[in-house]
Amino acid sequence: MSITEPLSQTLPNRVIPVLGILALALVWLLDLGTIQPNRIVPGAGHGLLAAVGWTGAGLVAGVLAAAILVSILPLRQRYGLLLGLIGLSLAMMPLLLDVFATRHLPEDSPYARSSIGAGFWCLLFLLSLMLIEILGRLRASRWLQLLLLVMMGGSWVVLLQSDGLESLSLVREFNARSDKFQQALWTHLALALGAVTISAGLAFALALKMIRSPTWQRPLLGAVSFLQTIPSLAVFGLLIAPLSALSSAFPMLQSLGIRGIGWAPALLALIAYSLLPMVRNTFVAITDVPENLADAARGMGMNERQVFFQLKLPLALPVIIEGVRITTIQAIGLTAVAALIGAGGFGSFIFQGLGQAAMDLVLLGALPTIALALLADALLTMLAASLRPTPATA
Amino acid sequence: MRAWLPAVLLAALLCGLSVGMPVLEPLFQWVQPDKQRVIYERESFVFLLQNHLLLVVVSAAVGTIVAVAGGIFATRPFGRDFLPLVSQVASIGQTFPPVAVLALVVPVLGFGEAPILLALILYGLLPILRNTLAGLEGINPSVREAALGMGMSPVQVLIRVELPLAGRVILAGIRTSVTINIATAAIGSTIGARTLGDPVIAGLVNGNTAYVLQGAVLIGLLALMTDSLFEAIERTWDSAWFKATQHLRTEKPR
Repeated sequence: MSITEPLSQTLPNRVIPVLGILALALVWLLDLGTIQPNRIVPGAGHGLLAAVGWTGAGLVAGVLAAAILVSILPLRQRYGLLLGLIGLSLAMMPLLLDVFATRHLPEDSPYARSSIGAGFWCLLFLLSLMLIEILGRLRASRWLQLLLLVMMGGSWVVLLQSDGLESLSLVREFNARSDKFQQALWTHLALALGAVTISAGLAFALALKMIRSPTWQRPLLGAVSFLQTIPSLAVFGLLIAPLSALSSAFPMLQSLGIRGIGWAPALLALIAYSLLPMVRNTFVAITDVPENLADAARGMGMNERQVFFQLKLPLALPVIIEGVRITTIQAIGLTAVAALIGAGGFGSFIFQGLGQAAMDLVLLGALPTIALALLADALLTMLAASLRPTPATA
Repeated sequence: MRAWLPAVLLAALLCGLSVGMPVLEPLFQWVQPDKQRVIYERESFVFLLQNHLLLVVVSAAVGTIVAVAGGIFATRPFGRDFLPLVSQVASIGQTFPPVAVLALVVPVLGFGEAPILLALILYGLLPILRNTLAGLEGINPSVREAALGMGMSPVQVLIRVELPLAGRVILAGIRTSVTINIATAAIGSTIGARTLGDPVIAGLVNGNTAYVLQGAVLIGLLALMTDSLFEAIERTWDSAWFKATQHLRTEKPR
């Protein structure tokens, strides 16, 4: 064991065995999947052994046991091995569903469908926790993390398109409305990103106003944090009456699609919500630039405009982007709620599914919403990190 | 005392409105002239308010206990191995939109109050956990060592030094959590919780703006009342802290 190796890499890990034992217990106790005779009738659950047979069950248990062993045995490449093992198993997870569906789906009934059980979700969740732990111990760079995410996402997409998984009810729901899914994706993105863009511009102007005239600071910050306190459902509800009054008073607005329900109140509410994190971060970021740096820049002959655009703004950018990150995640979530007032997006699948008690339709709305939020989080965190001044450039 | 005034006034307004909504019938008749019924009557507003509050209070209480216990565990020597994972989970978990979490609970646990309560607890404990970790980790290690050097046991250090120092940050986490959960509980109406979101959803389904307004106004008031309550608690905490540490400032002239 060389002395240059960091100690944390060689010490046994206690977190992964805990997660592994929990996963072993849950995957044997809970149902891996269910078979439904049709869309609405609740299905019959199948445990791990019944679902994928001895080979599959042995493989799952073997991977978990191997992960536990690798994390406690005295090994040098502990985390490299674990990364390979857990990463591969996560990428291969859909195969379990494939085997399950081919073994149990009755061939003569075209309406039968398989759906994912609690055991599968728990296994997925605990394996993801292990992956997070391993990446943390390896101090993996953001690029490696993104690469892993893309590889895993890619393998899932490829495996889910295979024939065996056509019976998966989530896939069925998707195939039944792939046009609507695409439309929902665009509506969701347009609403969320549109609101973020508009409020970024607005917040920038407000933050500049607050910097120029300090008397505006308290009332403006008070107003935007007041807006953020009101629950989303209430804001959507409160906007209906004034907007429908407006649109019936001015027929021109109506022809633009501005009504009490639909995209107009949704966009307004999303902008109102986005203001607080944007204004606060922009204001704090710009005022936090040390005054002596600005003085130095002025001493070098820069005028105020140059000081602002060439010094203050670049230094403030990482914190401003952090504000954009918070806002984007929040807007993606709130757009799902906006489906209640007819704004469309993935929320419409969620609430339709809840109304019809069709759980896979709910998943078809909820999972992409979460995926969008996680993706926005990853991309904007990386953007902020790459813009943060390093000692060499600062 | 003045710090508590806004909270008390808003609470009075909230209670008054939820009891006396029928008095405002002419107003809502004017908003919604084409409907016979303009006051939501399926449940009383008082019942909905109570239920909404109960969900939020129980989830905040359970969430606080679990999150603070988890935060303490992950910052002790025996739980330190778990610290990176716990803090990662607390921050990644907050990326999940609350609606999606609420929606995911239904396929796993079904409709009703219990699944919603579980979702509120799980989602609500993340900001508290994050702030507990930040509060406990933010304490200068020399403070802990000084307390140990005075002969305190680790448990005494935790209870008499670390938790009071981290308390203000934990309180801020509870405030965030409660604010989020009031909004999420309102959306919970769509999955079978009977909260102040009910009139809003019913109004949206039936095209009755009066119902929507009644629910929205009460939810908004509830959120404002809670927020000003936390504002008052935080101010009282700060001034008490200022008084308790005053001798430190006066005895040590710079």
